[in-house]
Amino acid sequence: MPEQHPPDDALLASLAARDLSALATLYDRYGRLAYSLAYRILGESEAAEDVVQDAFLSAWKGAGSYRRERGNPRAWLLSIVHHRAVDILRRKTTFRPAPLEMAESQPSDEDTAVSAEKNVEHRTVREALEALPQAQRRTIELAYFGGYTHVELSELMGVPLGTVKGRMRIGLQKMRRALERTR
Amino acid sequence: MNEHVQDDLEAYALGALDRGDAERVAQHLALCASCSNDAASLAEIVGTLPDTVALREPRPALRDRVLGAARAEARQATSRRSPRWSFGAVRLSRIAFAGLAAAVIVLGAADVEAYRRMVTVAAERDAYNRTLESLREGARLWYMAGKDSFAGSGGTLYEPRADGKQPFVLFHDLPPINEGQVLTIWLVSPDSAWARAATFRPNGQDIQVVQINTEVAGFDRCAVTLDDSPSGKHGTVVMESRIAPPTP
Ligand SMILES: [Zn+2]
Repeated sequence: MPEQHPPDDALLASLAARDLSALATLYDRYGRLAYSLAYRILGESEAAEDVVQDAFLSAWKGAGSYRRERGNPRAWLLSIVHHRAVDILRRKTTFRPAPLEMAESQPSDEDTAVSAEKNVEHRTVREALEALPQAQRRTIELAYFGGYTHVELSELMGVPLGTVKGRMRIGLQKMRRALERTR
Repeated sequence: MNEHVQDDLEAYALGALDRGDAERVAQHLALCASCSNDAASLAEIVGTLPDTVALREPRPALRDRVLGAARAEARQATSRRSPRWSFGAVRLSRIAFAGLAAAVIVLGAADVEAYRRMVTVAAERDAYNRTLESLREGARLWYMAGKDSFAGSGGTLYEPRADGKQPFVLFHDLPPINEGQVLTIWLVSPDSAWARAATFRPNGQDIQVVQINTEVAGFDRCAVTLDDSPSGKHGTVVMESRIAPPTP
C-alpha cells in the first residue's frame, strides 16, 4: 500500500485530540470505500450514507477507544461501517433469500467495478477472493456482505456448523497467504 | 482465565456471530493477549474484503454532513465539560407517575418505557434485578459490585442498542461521601484505556440514575472511582464490573 501522509495511526491520534481536519482527511481517504461497502451490504444509497455518517461520527467520538483486535485503523474504521450496516440489515430483514437465489440476484461487481480494477491493491484482493473454492468464497461473502451468522449459514447451506467455521478459517488463511505473496 | 475462543475468531472477524457470542468473544479478547493477537491479524485480512466491492461515489454533501455532525458533537462535548458537574440524577423514589415526563426530559432521549418501569423499581426494591432483566431487550447490561466502603452497593450500566437512546447507570444503595469528593464512572476499553463517562455525587436515595454522555460501544468494562476532584487523576476504585482487568 502506498505511504500516506499523515499515516493512519497519526490521524487517529489527532482524532482523539478532537482535530476536525484529521476527520476530514480520514473521510477523504476512506469515505468512498466506506460508502461503497455500506452500499454493497444494504443496496441503497440513503441507508448507506446514514451508515457512513454514523460510522465516522462514532470513530470521531471513539478514537480513544480504538480496538487493537479490530486491526489497523483502516480495518477498524471499516469494521465500524460493516458492523452498523449489518446491524441495519439484520433489523430490517425478516426474510433473506437462500444463498443460491442470493448469488443470482446480487448484481455482479463486474458490471460496475471499473474504477476498482484500476487499483492494484484492490485487484489483488479480488483475485485472492475469487481464487478460493466456491464453498469457501460463498461462505465468506454471505457472512461478511450478507450479514448471516455462522449458525444461519449452517442452516442455509445445509452443512454442520463446524464445516462453516472450517470454510471461514481455511478461506481466510488462503487469502492471507495470497496477499502476503504480493507484498 | 476462561476458555480460549480461537474456534470463533474467524466468525467474529467476519461479524458473523450473534450478539451473545460476539460479546463472549470480546470479553475474552479483553483478557487474552494470544487470542487478541490472532483476532487483530484476522481483522486485517477481513479489512481487505471491502476492496472487492465496486467503488461508488457518495454524494459530495455526505462529506459536509459527516463534518457537520462531528462539529456539533464537539461543541456539545465542550459545553458538557463546563465546571458544573453533570448530575443527570433523578430522585426516582419521589417520582410519581405524573413526574415521569420531567424525568425523561432530564435524561434526554432515553426510553420512556424503561423509565416507566424504573419508577416501579423505586416502589419495589426487590424487583431491581428482575426489572433490569426486563429492560434488556437487546440492550447490554453490566453490573458493577461495590467493594470496601462501598460493599453492598452496586450499579448497572444500561446500554440501549437503539439509536438515539442514551446509556445510563442505575445505582443502588450508594453510601454518602465527603464534601468536595465526587464519584466518576469510567468506561474501560479492551486495551485497558480508561475514559471518563460521568461525574456525580450520591443523592442520598436508595436508587439513583446517572446518565452517560459518551458512546459505550467499543468498551468492555466499567468502573466507579471515588475522587477528590472532578478532573485529574482518578482515585480509589470503589466499584467495577465483573470482568476482571487483564493481568499485567
Ligand atoms: Zn484466549
